[in-house]
Amino acid sequence: MEISLPTFDFLVVAPEIVVLITALLVMVVDMVIGREQKGRLAWVALVGVLAAGALSYYLWDGSDPALHDMLAADGYALFLNLAILVAAALAILFSLEYTGRVGLAQGEYYTLLLLSTAGMMLMAAAINLMTIFLALEILSISLYVLVGLNRAERRSAEAALKYFVLGAFASGFLLYGMALIYGQAGTTSLAGIRAAVQAGGEPSALLLVGLGLMIAGFGFKVALVPFQMWTPDVYQGAPTSVTAFMSVGAKVAGFAALGRVALYAFGDLQGDWRWVLAVLSALTMTVGNLAALRQANLKRMLAYSSIAHAGYALAGLAAGNAQGTSGLLFYLFAYAFMNAGAFAIIIAAGRFEGATGGGETLDDFAGLAARKPGLAVAMALFMLSLAGVPPLAGFLAKLYVFGAAVRGGLIWLAVFGVVNSVISAYYYLRVVVSMYMREGRPAAVPAPVCAGLQVGVALAAVAIVLLGLWPGPIVDLARVAALALLGG
Amino acid sequence: MPADYLPILFFAVVAVVLSAIAVLMPALFGPKRPTSVKLAPYESGKLPIGPARRRFSIQYYLYAVLFILFDVEIVFLFPWAVVFRDLAPRWLGLAEAAVFVLILLLGLAYVWKKGGLEWE
Amino acid sequence: MILLWLILWLLSGGLLAWLLSRWRAVWARWVSLFFTATYLASLVVIWILSPEAEEAGPGSWLIDLNLSWIPNLGINLHLALDGLGLLLLLLVGVLGVMTVATSWTGAQERTGFFHFNLLWILAALAGVFMAMDLVLFYLFWEMMLIPLYFLIGIWGYENRVYATLKFFIFTQAGGLLMLLSILGLYFAHGNNTGVYTFDYFQLLGNTVPLATAIWLMLGFFVAFAVKLPAVPVHTWLPDAHTQAPTAGSVDLAGLVLKAGAYGLLRFLVPLFPEAAGRIAPAAMILGVIGILYGAFQAYGQTDLKRMVAYTSVSHMGFVLLGVFAWNPLALQGAVVVMIAHGISTGALFILAGDIQERIHSRDLERMGGLWSTMPRMGAVGLLFALASLGLPGLGNFVGEFLVLLGAFQANVPIAVLATLAFVVSAVYSLAMIQRVFFGPNREGWDLPDASPREMGIWVVMVVLIVVLGLYPRPVLDTARPALEALQEYAAAGEHVEVEVGEASWLGSTAHGSWDTAVDGVDGGRP
Repeated sequence: MEISLPTFDFLVVAPEIVVLITALLVMVVDMVIGREQKGRLAWVALVGVLAAGALSYYLWDGSDPALHDMLAADGYALFLNLAILVAAALAILFSLEYTGRVGLAQGEYYTLLLLSTAGMMLMAAAINLMTIFLALEILSISLYVLVGLNRAERRSAEAALKYFVLGAFASGFLLYGMALIYGQAGTTSLAGIRAAVQAGGEPSALLLVGLGLMIAGFGFKVALVPFQMWTPDVYQGAPTSVTAFMSVGAKVAGFAALGRVALYAFGDLQGDWRWVLAVLSALTMTVGNLAALRQANLKRMLAYSSIAHAGYALAGLAAGNAQGTSGLLFYLFAYAFMNAGAFAIIIAAGRFEGATGGGETLDDFAGLAARKPGLAVAMALFMLSLAGVPPLAGFLAKLYVFGAAVRGGLIWLAVFGVVNSVISAYYYLRVVVSMYMREGRPAAVPAPVCAGLQVGVALAAVAIVLLGLWPGPIVDLARVAALALLGG
Repeated sequence: MPADYLPILFFAVVAVVLSAIAVLMPALFGPKRPTSVKLAPYESGKLPIGPARRRFSIQYYLYAVLFILFDVEIVFLFPWAVVFRDLAPRWLGLAEAAVFVLILLLGLAYVWKKGGLEWE
Repeated sequence: MILLWLILWLLSGGLLAWLLSRWRAVWARWVSLFFTATYLASLVVIWILSPEAEEAGPGSWLIDLNLSWIPNLGINLHLALDGLGLLLLLLVGVLGVMTVATSWTGAQERTGFFHFNLLWILAALAGVFMAMDLVLFYLFWEMMLIPLYFLIGIWGYENRVYATLKFFIFTQAGGLLMLLSILGLYFAHGNNTGVYTFDYFQLLGNTVPLATAIWLMLGFFVAFAVKLPAVPVHTWLPDAHTQAPTAGSVDLAGLVLKAGAYGLLRFLVPLFPEAAGRIAPAAMILGVIGILYGAFQAYGQTDLKRMVAYTSVSHMGFVLLGVFAWNPLALQGAVVVMIAHGISTGALFILAGDIQERIHSRDLERMGGLWSTMPRMGAVGLLFALASLGLPGLGNFVGEFLVLLGAFQANVPIAVLATLAFVVSAVYSLAMIQRVFFGPNREGWDLPDASPREMGIWVVMVVLIVVLGLYPRPVLDTARPALEALQEYAAAGEHVEVEVGEASWLGSTAHGSWDTAVDGVDGGRP
């Protein structure tokens, strides 16, 4: 008997492999270098991430190769790769000084960061229930540890435990849903499931329950209401640079897989899931925004705001058309810059409080415009973009998804989104008010802001302005990516 | 379709009922003469020397996890070794297993270097 | 390209002012003055050359610029200028120079950022008055909000944070409703014709069913009514005006409110003529309520700036009335009211600012008898109060009178009520002068009279309002082709479902010629 081994076209997963190898490399380098040289690990990680980004872009030739019904390097995956890698690169830049200040173990930090990046990228590329689950676990387990990495901080440990328990619970939901779908379709391949759905005529209850459970599972990851309760505690408790990373990356990955499952595998059952997603979307943005109104801690406020943004992005998915899908992709891309950027300013503001770990409340931001005008301008840009004020990226992203919702016949959802945007303007502006219109106390520690962080913030700020004023290229890419998923 | 799963349900019910009977019958009908020795927790025949709810050193867990890690590795390597002669091409099979082992070795080296194997 | 350069000129002026203020604060002032003055000068040149430039665009359009921006969403960088836009841009230029001049000694803190905001407001307004793509329009519409928000929030008075938030939330809510309507129109039009576009000219004459059009129109209406402000949604205005620094009040009253009126004229009626016709009576009644309510409120105020703010509500009611009367007279009147109100209210806010700078109070109870110590300021104040009450010979009279004439053709009872405005405005205007400049000088103020810089501002403003009152012809001539074109757009877009026997509420413009409009050929609504 002869067992012929399958051949692999490794180029298909080259970006993911590069990130994984970099993760191992960081681990090895961490073992051999001295304690005072740990700062260099960040640069190793950054080079790996940039290389993976370049590879993703290079791979994009429209051929959409796939690896044995398991992973695909289609436009959809590659576009999301770019968003994930942007989040990773920014997170690394923001961590340069922060990890040292807070006392995180740098070798483990960057290794885990890269591992979860790889997990996110695999999730975007996964075209099989098995790979989706594996990717989800790679990214989740790394994140559980990252959240709890600040061992000196009680809230960090609490956050990690909470995230772990609820995350495991969500994984259970997801697996159960997958099992039901497998039981009905007889295959774990998304293409196979699509074929089964198309052949089946009237969908069976088993399939629908399975899909519902999967939506719940992904809903945990991207923090949809009513699966959002972990978000504020975890985002607040985790080290800020980790929050910046996970608030973007985990959401992008969750939406990536949800999009593939809903739009591709279950594309023919749109009528069954669209209204569910639309209701979840409306609920999510409303609950997120109302809760954010009352927060005085910025990390917590941004956590609720990120829930709301998951709701906006979901509106694009609920629209169920090509425009909604490309809108979702554009939204995630724009969101990566503005949200990560906002957390970066919190990291920077914490610098002035010394090692006490302050700098997170609205009061700490009072008068920031006088102390650090550059940071204040950037923060104002991020807040306004999150609020959806033109001509910044957040505005165009909202225009895109709400437009798609209107086109998809979900006018009420667009109205919900618009009303929510008004509500959200209130709490985003409070930050601006605090920075520009209130007197602040002088910084406890008059320390300079780390250059890497400045570069990251500047990049993010420029990006959201450019994405708002000259979105053509990215919109084109998002369109191609959406078509790769929906076909034709 | 759900009807296809009936045998499984039946099997599960029978299993639960049988084991329940096996546990409950002695408890209900057996003679009970408790003594302090009989009530003591079983610890390989030795006398217990303290309450059972004490905290173990974190090292135990670390060892346990590492043990499981390398234990599971065997699950993959054993079947691979059995069919190794039939693999085609054989060098590729060797290379893939080598990468797998290499990554595990890297993990071992990491644990070692970080002092995870030292007891005190 | 000149249109894009006009906007970029102001934007770069703002950046430059901010940058240079790092070394010398006063440079920000000179830079801003230079950029606003050159902007005004180039507009005047365009105005003078405009008869020749008429070939540049189709019909009433003087200049047209259409660049591709986000082609796959149907969004273009489409700027165009007609007479209406030109007049408003000129107003932006004039008041721009005035605000820089009037805040010459104010804004000592963060001077550069102050002027940055000032110029960016002007740039955004310029964009609003030129944008012919709905997304572009919305973009500029929101863009003027942010710098204004900073302007009031940072350099405003004691209650500024509350005022800015209220202002922002109100206008943002209105703006987003408009955005929804824009999207709805985009898709409704796209589904009908297969052409997905935000372009104004392509959306004109859209065949959106009336039931949908009414909802879309209401979205626009709310946004414009908030900015205008029309009565139930005006409450942000007194707070924002009162708390804003002088420059902010002038920009807000003189220019930003005009954006709302402009939106009604340019977008709401031409895009949804039939739907607008349905709400025209209600909107006219709102206008009249605004006129009277604003006047009564103004009379009752004890805060000088708040008082002037309420007179704005009153004057802008005329614009609402005029737009929805939608006949040549009323429209011309509305345009003149917009210009005249920009100048006269701007001047009154500058006056209030100058007084506040001297006595550090806006409280009318603490004023009185100021004429004896500041006779020149008193004379100017009296003149603009007279303009505000509609004294013939000054700009406001021309506009309000034309609006009333037009309104009489459209709806007699409403017009009769609106005429009461001349009475009530006389009451509050004279009361204001009485309480500020006459009577006993209770606090014994001994104040410096207007400085040469202030006098320079006043002279320009006075000349403008007098010229507008005595010889409004250039303004009317400039606005006329644009207004004619708007009426044609609206008439062309209206469905022919109107029952026989009932004249369309705006169909009459097709046969009512502009030259004979004074004869009242317009049948208007029965």
